[in-house]
Amino acid sequence: MGNALTKLDESENAFKGRSASIGSGSTRPTNVSERRRRMHMGISNNARSRTNSTGSQLMYKKKSTRERDSMKESFAKQLVVRYNESVDGGYLAPHGCYTFEKLDYDPSLVRSLITARKLAPFYIPLQDFDESWTREELIKIVDGLPLHAAVNENPEEFEDTPIGNLKVQNIDELVDKSLSKKEQRKQRSKIFKARLHRKRILWQEQENEAFLEQKLEAKKEPNPSKRNLALPSADLNHTIYKKGIECPICFLYYPEPLNYSRCCLQPICTECFVQIKRGDPHFPHEEVDPTKPVTNDDEKDPNLLISEPASCAYCATPNFGVTYQPPENRKTGIGGTPPGSYKAAHDEEKASVSNRSGSEEGPKTPSKSPEDPEVVTSDMIRPDWKAKLDKERLRLARRSANATAIHVSNQLVSPDHPSRRDSTTDSGSIPNARSSRLVTNPMVELENQMVEQAIRLSLVDEEERKNSQVHR
Amino acid sequence: MASLPKRIIKETERLASDPVPGIGAEPHEDNLRYFAVTIEGPKESPYEDGIFELELYLPDDYPMEAPKVRFLTRIYHPNIDRLGRICLDVLKNNWSPALQIRTVLLSIQALLASPNPNDPLANDVAEDWIKNEELAISKAREWTTLYAEKK
Repeated sequence: MGNALTKLDESENAFKGRSASIGSGSTRPTNVSERRRRMHMGISNNARSRTNSTGSQLMYKKKSTRERDSMKESFAKQLVVRYNESVDGGYLAPHGCYTFEKLDYDPSLVRSLITARKLAPFYIPLQDFDESWTREELIKIVDGLPLHAAVNENPEEFEDTPIGNLKVQNIDELVDKSLSKKEQRKQRSKIFKARLHRKRILWQEQENEAFLEQKLEAKKEPNPSKRNLALPSADLNHTIYKKGIECPICFLYYPEPLNYSRCCLQPICTECFVQIKRGDPHFPHEEVDPTKPVTNDDEKDPNLLISEPASCAYCATPNFGVTYQPPENRKTGIGGTPPGSYKAAHDEEKASVSNRSGSEEGPKTPSKSPEDPEVVTSDMIRPDWKAKLDKERLRLARRSANATAIHVSNQLVSPDHPSRRDSTTDSGSIPNARSSRLVTNPMVELENQMVEQAIRLSLVDEEERKNSQVHR
Repeated sequence: MASLPKRIIKETERLASDPVPGIGAEPHEDNLRYFAVTIEGPKESPYEDGIFELELYLPDDYPMEAPKVRFLTRIYHPNIDRLGRICLDVLKNNWSPALQIRTVLLSIQALLASPNPNDPLANDVAEDWIKNEELAISKAREWTTLYAEKK
């Protein structure tokens, strides 16, 4: 990671009054500290469960679910577009071309990158753009744009999910107690999701209404200096939208400048940029010989699982990243002048036009390496990608361990089953000397396999522990 | 259902106003994410003179997720199986949101011109292709006349 980003983290932490001691290198101190505590609790729970009842475990679990819920809520709150949080005519949260569920980047990181002018702000896009529009027409069109796109209020997914009273925090009442523990957990998480979806809509609606109200009031106010200066001035709207550029991915029109891919200098809006991420963890793809049998994914070593950094959408260069050169003709909102007081000076307008004609072939800077401090990569805005990969590896390791356990217990049921003989001859993991002895005694074989399994599992756990330490 | 993203609307318009030679793609009236596609077999390939029908569907996450494309016309090709499923990198791992319906269909046309039996989907066809390419090609030509002849 570049120096610039670490600096951003620190300022972010300072801004929120977080203690400086946690996560100087990490971007999500709460996550890490929570994981650390959970690990401690896990250990003490194990120790306690030997002597004590399970009551304490339940209490801990409840708390952690609630903590996770509130983390998810504060995450979602950072994705609300707020009219009084603007940068150079754009905003700190996406307009909504993609659904809520698809926003999984680290919002606090992206917000700091935008206010630091290292990433273009999220602008409100124009659906179409016509060069023949007059200044007045354009200003009128832009003035009528909502802060956020319309959201599907009743997605099919949540159709039959009760959401109860949104003001009541405790949702355990809504869970059907006649279900099994596992089903109850599932239902609870679904109810939480449905409620959060509705809450996000409400939070955004409140903001949209406030924006509209302020705009109406500003129209009634004859004295420009008394208007709400957080609202963009007509000049600002005209300056940024008078010449749109189409994002090649969402096909919507955005003010210039946009972000440019670090490798091939192609434009991309921030809303599309935050959608591009690593693919799901997978096994390396091999060209197979059709005459040979294929190895099943279940039989592969989970540690071979890989995830590759996202590639450039345009030229497929690995490790996708963008650069952004902030506009010279405007610095408004956070870290700049109030958007409402922005005036386009005549010579400035001209200057920006000539600037633009020069920048039509994209930025003048040559392509940059992903380590360049000016580059923002896809991995940077999703610092949890490594944890996700480890989690998937662990899941696969557990699954194959379970499969072995089931296999072993099957052998116990019918020791004469032909599959048992197959497994002892085929399996390379069991030394020959031992297996020949084991054929005569299935119980000893079973025990040995279980011991092997236990060793494997504890190795996996050890691996996970090490990894989580590295993350810290 | 959520409204259709601007991107899909614009792509559809541009496909109609500036069509690709040898390729047709029309959205269904009742589902604008579902396209009826035709691809002409490339010249100097065993699929020459054939017109292949395909279906293309744009999933909810399009363009972050690749379109789903399937041959409806039967075809003898190592990377297309009996069900019409296609083994093509840009439809899977190498999908990029900067690609479009247009570019995907061009890639499929190019796949017809250059089959890759080393990364097969239809194992039996790929085996034939590796063992006796000439025979496989003549069979592909036979199937083209049989199932994909121009009407």
